[in-house]
Amino acid sequence: MTELIGYLVTGLGIGAGFALVGSGLVVTYRVTRVVDFAQGGFAVLAAMLTASLLSAGLPHGAAETLGVVAGAGAGLLVGVAAIGRPGTAPGASLIVTLGLGLLAYAVEILIWGDQPRSFPGLGGAVEIAGARVPTHYLLIVAVTGPVFAALAVFFARTDLGKALSACASNPYAARVVGIDVRRMGLLSFALGGALGGLAGVLTTPVQQVTFDSDVALIVNGFAAAVLGGLTRPGAALAGGLLLGVAQTVVAGYGGGAYRLEVALVVLLTVMIAQGVRTPPAQEATA
Amino acid sequence: MRTIWIAAGLLALAAPLLLPERHLAVYVLLALTAAVAVGVSMLMGYAGQVSLGQASFYAIGAYAAGLLAVHGLPPLVGLLAAPLVAAAAALLVGAPLLRLRGHHLAFATLAMQLILLGLLSRGEWAGGAIGLQGIPRFSAGGAELRDDRGYAYLALAVLASVVLIYRNVVVSRVGRAMRAAATGEAAAAACGVPVGRYRLAVFALSAAFAGLAGGVYAFYLGYLSPGSFPVLLSIEYVVMAAVGGLGTIAGPLVGATVITLLVQALTALGTQPGMPGYAPAVLSYAVYGLVLVVAVLYLPRGIVPSIHSVLGRGKR
Repeated sequence: MTELIGYLVTGLGIGAGFALVGSGLVVTYRVTRVVDFAQGGFAVLAAMLTASLLSAGLPHGAAETLGVVAGAGAGLLVGVAAIGRPGTAPGASLIVTLGLGLLAYAVEILIWGDQPRSFPGLGGAVEIAGARVPTHYLLIVAVTGPVFAALAVFFARTDLGKALSACASNPYAARVVGIDVRRMGLLSFALGGALGGLAGVLTTPVQQVTFDSDVALIVNGFAAAVLGGLTRPGAALAGGLLLGVAQTVVAGYGGGAYRLEVALVVLLTVMIAQGVRTPPAQEATA
Repeated sequence: MRTIWIAAGLLALAAPLLLPERHLAVYVLLALTAAVAVGVSMLMGYAGQVSLGQASFYAIGAYAAGLLAVHGLPPLVGLLAAPLVAAAAALLVGAPLLRLRGHHLAFATLAMQLILLGLLSRGEWAGGAIGLQGIPRFSAGGAELRDDRGYAYLALAVLASVVLIYRNVVVSRVGRAMRAAATGEAAAAACGVPVGRYRLAVFALSAAFAGLAGGVYAFYLGYLSPGSFPVLLSIEYVVMAAVGGLGTIAGPLVGATVITLLVQALTALGTQPGMPGYAPAVLSYAVYGLVLVVAVLYLPRGIVPSIHSVLGRGKR
C-alpha cells in the first residue's frame, strides 16, 4: 500500500511533465492547426541551458526562468519558420517542425555534447502515508497546478486568450474582426515553447535529459494531449497525469522496461477509438 | 526522358565495376535506401499519408530474413519471405491505423516503430539489444554472394524490381484511382473508389518494398541490431521522398541519391583527423533538418517535378 502511494505521487510528478509538453502541443494546435513536432525539443533545450547556467554559478530560479524563456524564444523561431510564410499548409508546417527538431539535435550536440545531463532540484524527501517521496516531485505538481489554472483563465477570460481561440475555430472571421491571425499563431508557438521549456526544467532533476529525449517527451505529450482531441489543455492535464501514474505503477510492479510502451499503447488505443468515432468529413474545410 | 532513364540505368549497372571496393558499401546502402524511399514516395504521393515508421518494415524484413537464415533455411527463402512478412505486418497494423489521418497517423506510425524497437531490443528470440548474429551470406543455387560487388548487383536488382512494380501500379487503374483519392477523398469515394482498401494495399506494398530491401541488408551485413533502425531512419526516408518529389518515379531515386551522397560527403569531412567525435552526427542531423525545412518551404513539390516545370514539360 505504501509502495502504491509512492508510485502515485511520483507518477503525478512525471505525468505533470507530460501534461506540460502536451498542453504546449494543444496551445499551438488550437490556434494554428499545426502539431509542433519540435515541442519535445524545447524541453531538452531549456533543461540543457539551465544545467549550464547553474554550473556557471547562476542561482536556482534565475537559471530555470532563463531556461523557460529560451524555450519560448525557440518556440517563436520554430513558429516563424513553420507558419511565417503565407499559405503554408498545416501538413507542410508539421514537416517543417520535424526538420527543425532534427536541426536542434545538431545544435544541442554541438553546444552540450551527446552525454546525458541533469542538475539538482529540490533536495530531500518527505513521508506521505508511510511512503518516502523525493520532495522535487511535489514541487513539479505544485508548479504545474497553478500553470494549468492560469492557462484555463487565460483562454476563457482574457481578450487575448479568446482571440487566440478564435483564430483556430474560424480564421476568416477572426481576421474580419481585426485579429492578426499570424501574430496569434506565433504567440501560440512561443507559449507552447515556454510550456515545453517548463516541462524540461521541472523534470530534469528527476530524469536526465539527452539531446534525443525529445522523442519520448513528444510521444508522451502527444498521448496526453490527444485525449482531449488536441484542443483542451485541461484534458491534456488529465491525460498526462493518468499516463504518468500508469507508467510509474507499471514500472514499479516489475515492468520497468516497458514504460514508453505503456504510453504508446494508450496513445494508439485512444487515437484509433477517436478515429472510428469521427469520420474524416472535414477535409474540405481545411 | 527515356534517354535519361537509360543513361541512369547504364550508369547504375556500370558503377559497381568502376567504383573502388571501399566505396561499394555506399552503393549497396544507396540502392536499398532508394528502394525504401520509392515505397514512401508512393505512400505519401498516392495514399496522401505520412508514415514516420517506414524503417519498421525495413527492420521486419531484415529480421525475418535473418531469423529464417539463422535457423537453417536457405537464404533465398529468407529473402523471398522478407517482403511477404513485412506486407503481412503492414496489413495487420494498417487495418486499424489507417483510419487515422495526417498528424495522427504520423504519430501512430512513430509509436508503432518505437514499440517494435522495444520488442526487438528485449526479445531473446531476436538477440535482444546485442542483436542477431551469425546471419549467413546470401546464396542461391549453390552460388554464394561473398564480395560487395555481388551485393551491389543484388541491391540494384531489388531497386529495379521495386521501380518496375511501382511504375506498373501507377499507370494501372488502381494507380489512377489512388491519385484521385489522394487529391479528393470524398469525391473519389463517391465515384466508387474503395479508398480504404486501396490505401491499405498501398501501405502493404510500400512495406513490402521496405521489407525486401531489409532482407538484402540482413545478408549484406550478416548482423542486425535494433539500433540499426532508429526513428531517424524513418524520417530520412520521408526527407528523401519529399525532397525528390512525391508520387513521381524518379523523385525518390533522385532524393535518395542526392541526400545519401551529401551525407556521405559530410561524414567523410566529419571523420577527418582533427574533427571532434560528434562531428558526423552533428553534420548529418543538420543536413536532414535543413534539407527538410528548405525543401518543404521553397520546393514544395520536390526536385523532380520542379525540374520538369522548369524544362517546360508541365506533365507531372
